[in-house]
Amino acid sequence: MSKNLRELSDEELILEFQKNNVEAAFEILVQRYKNPLTNFVFRFLGDYAACSDVVQETMIKVYRYKDTYSSVAKFSTWVYTIAGNLARTEYRRQRRRNFFSISDYGEEHKPYDLPDESYRPDVIIDSGIKDEIIQKALLKVKEAYREAVILRDIQGMSYEEISEILGVNEGTVKSRINRGRAQLQILLKNIYDESC
Amino acid sequence: MENDEKKYQDVINKLKGLKEVKAPANFEADLKRRINSEKFEGERKGFWKNILVPAKLIPSLGLAAAAVVIFFVMETNSEEIDNPFLIEPRVRKDVTEVRDYEALKQEHQKELAKSKSLEKEKNAPALVLKQNEIKTSRDENVSGGKKDDVVDKLMNEQDLAKDKGKIEGGISIPESTFAAITDSIHPTVPSEASSSLVAGQSITKDELNFRQVQLSPKEQKVVNELKKTQVQSLERSNRTQK
Repeated sequence: MSKNLRELSDEELILEFQKNNVEAAFEILVQRYKNPLTNFVFRFLGDYAACSDVVQETMIKVYRYKDTYSSVAKFSTWVYTIAGNLARTEYRRQRRRNFFSISDYGEEHKPYDLPDESYRPDVIIDSGIKDEIIQKALLKVKEAYREAVILRDIQGMSYEEISEILGVNEGTVKSRINRGRAQLQILLKNIYDESC
Repeated sequence: MENDEKKYQDVINKLKGLKEVKAPANFEADLKRRINSEKFEGERKGFWKNILVPAKLIPSLGLAAAAVVIFFVMETNSEEIDNPFLIEPRVRKDVTEVRDYEALKQEHQKELAKSKSLEKEKNAPALVLKQNEIKTSRDENVSGGKKDDVVDKLMNEQDLAKDKGKIEGGISIPESTFAAITDSIHPTVPSEASSSLVAGQSITKDELNFRQVQLSPKEQKVVNELKKTQVQSLERSNRTQK
């Protein structure tokens, strides 16, 4: 039975879970999507613990609201939409928390900039650290552009899928991606020079 | 489109080269635990749902209950606190209805006069009887030898005035004028009588509360003689004045 389920597509599995309440189908979907969703959410948030919670919350929502899924849409776009919404909510909550905690440190209530040691040349040693630098640069990109860039260049999705996930037309998706890439290029310019 | 991708090829390559972040090893176990805990909470809620009202209705029911309580509280404490500057003064009809006091006074006097005239008409036979009684009592007083000089004088004056009126054109002076004179002489007259005089009411002699002296025939003769002498003296004085 489980072998047969593994052969089913995402849409067939969720239908199986919807109609027959086959929990094994749901488990297979979790196995399929836990890593892609974790990667997507982590690149968006930059916080692994928070990312894990968001992905689990996404799966719980799929479990609880399985009946709201319509077979017209792809399962991947549906689950990414849920994950994207939850990730955005978490990101805004983190930003509010950081704003209130850091803004009180500086003298005369001036915003306090944390010293970023990772950009020092002696610190940049291996690719692991470069990944971290790219991640930090990605987090500096505007929220809407960042999500589109991650879905396109990291998750490898089509413009059509991204437009469905973000709920905007393809033209908007493309412009967001280009603007995000442009921002990243500026932010990563120094690293490119050093690596070359 | 392709130009854009070429333009940002380096960035795209860097992003694609990022290591894939994987879910934690205990991800599925944690997920199962959370789902089971939520199931348990759902069952517990289901139990409470059987007892209590649905959770969605609680806020609306609370609001409705609060509205009912407020309504009854306001209803019991319904003493309206009015702005004293906006309240119209209470109209006292007993005061405001009477505006023309002179008219009221005249009406009152007319009513009194009517009532008195009616009383007089009713008491006419009784007055005749009284006069007879007075005459008899006069006889008794004369026999007793009692006499009041002041009253005598007044009686003389009254008679003189009557005579004078008859002489000068038949105008009879009402008894009330004498009563008024006697009031001024006698300070013992009650205040009611004086007030009625002030109001312009006619008061008969019988209504006055003073002692009436009954004269005997002999005394009456003496009085008549005195009257005559006084009349003669008055006539003389009138002639001299003319």
